[in-house]
Amino acid sequence: MAELIFASATELARMIAGKQVSPVEVVRAHLDRITALDGSLRAFITVTAESALAAAADAERALTSGRPLGPLHGVPLGLKDLYDTAGVRTTGGSRILGDRVPAADATVVKRLREAGMIVLGKLNMVEFAYGPEGLNPHYGHARNPWDSATHRMAGGSSSGSGVAVAAGLAPVALGSDTGGSIRIPCSLCGLTGIKPTYGRVSRAGVLPLSWSMDHAGPMTRTAADCALVLRAMAGYDPADPTTSVLPVPDYTAALTGDVRGLRVGLLRAFFLESATPDVRAAVEAAARALEKAGAIVDEVALPSVRYTAAGALAVVGTEAMTYHAGWLRRRAAEYDPDVSHRLMAGAFISGVHYVRGQQARALVRREVDEALARRDVLLAPATPIPAPAVTERQTTLGDGPSDIRSALIRLTRPFNFSGHPACSVPCGFTRDGLPIGMQIVGRPFDEATVLRAADGYQRLSDWHTRRPVLA
Amino acid sequence: MSQPLDLDSLRRSARLAGFDWTDTQLEAIRPMVEASLRLLADLEGLPLEEVEPTTQYRIL
Repeated sequence: MAELIFASATELARMIAGKQVSPVEVVRAHLDRITALDGSLRAFITVTAESALAAAADAERALTSGRPLGPLHGVPLGLKDLYDTAGVRTTGGSRILGDRVPAADATVVKRLREAGMIVLGKLNMVEFAYGPEGLNPHYGHARNPWDSATHRMAGGSSSGSGVAVAAGLAPVALGSDTGGSIRIPCSLCGLTGIKPTYGRVSRAGVLPLSWSMDHAGPMTRTAADCALVLRAMAGYDPADPTTSVLPVPDYTAALTGDVRGLRVGLLRAFFLESATPDVRAAVEAAARALEKAGAIVDEVALPSVRYTAAGALAVVGTEAMTYHAGWLRRRAAEYDPDVSHRLMAGAFISGVHYVRGQQARALVRREVDEALARRDVLLAPATPIPAPAVTERQTTLGDGPSDIRSALIRLTRPFNFSGHPACSVPCGFTRDGLPIGMQIVGRPFDEATVLRAADGYQRLSDWHTRRPVLA
Repeated sequence: MSQPLDLDSLRRSARLAGFDWTDTQLEAIRPMVEASLRLLADLEGLPLEEVEPTTQYRIL
């Protein structure tokens, strides 16, 4: 069983299709690990053991009866608890929706079930996805598995997704990303995850934080797994009018392992400059490794991104406040005060601020487009710091002091603002043994090149193969 | 905006937006509102006169 726990989704799918292992064994191995470890890790809000085992038994019957199999047949999946699941409560990490049981699956959940995936349960998260630290006083703070001595942040808002995949409780999880909520926990937990282009993946049936900034995407241990899962989730959905009708490419076929000629723009100002020395050194070393393998690396700047914090506050603050207005009138006391206070502050953002934010967004988007006009991808740290302790509130960045929340979200949020696809891949460890994440950003709807670069880097390095030691 | 907000201004603004929050609630969020408004003022430094706001995405 032990070898199944950290097998990739790609390996599991191959072994299951080849009848080397049964879906029931795979699901049971992961459920046993959840039982053993999740009391301290707090990755799950709801474990759906019974339905997972029933689905695994059905998947086994499909194998023996010769029914057509999906590309992820029998592979377990964890869902951030803001993806609607038919008949299973979907809380958004809140008490307000603590008893909410949707009647239907979110579009992407339906698609992944059709691809053969088996849902293990619903994962912990920051209440209503509003925060990058990964803390949740209602369901317990998810624990970063990379430090057994100190309770460190898993990163958020998809904290349970990060912990579950890093600790081997699930090979794949879905996260959502409004300011970095896929890439931040991937960076802090040593995972690979992609925030696709806005419009690439349906948000139908996903609880919103900010409609125009929210992105759904996979969190895995390899770029190859991201490619496999993203292909199964992506594509036009009539239930989400912002999805694109562009065909979904075979991302796995794009993973050639060849980075020769790949034009890489290293983001130094604002990005590398803000990182701590360990993080900066790791990302620079990764750029050198890509260059040595034949990539063409230069440096590029995005001067307008310094306005992202203000612009995103105008947009997210207003949109989030609008979604929560009814509850904030009647049930404000039921929120974590840290979340409700930030939501309430959104009531004081004016219409002029909101439109200014959208203007700033156009400016940032244009600048990122220009940087990518002569480059295939941009490279930067995903987070300027590794996982802080849950008690930390302040840190020192390469360019000055910062509160932890602003630091964690600083380098990922620009690409929610601009809508460009961006993934985080492990690129090293600090002297204290904490993972470091590198961000790869690509052109709109060119997730294939982003994943090709990520996979190419993973063939040059072994950071993504390291595992935390858990009792 | 760099001036501190007083409770009356906060209360009036909240009520205009349809929120009947208590003074205790408003006091709790006052530092955050002040910080938000300071940050939002940054947007005035951008050359946005010729920039149309983003209202549509790259939906093809």
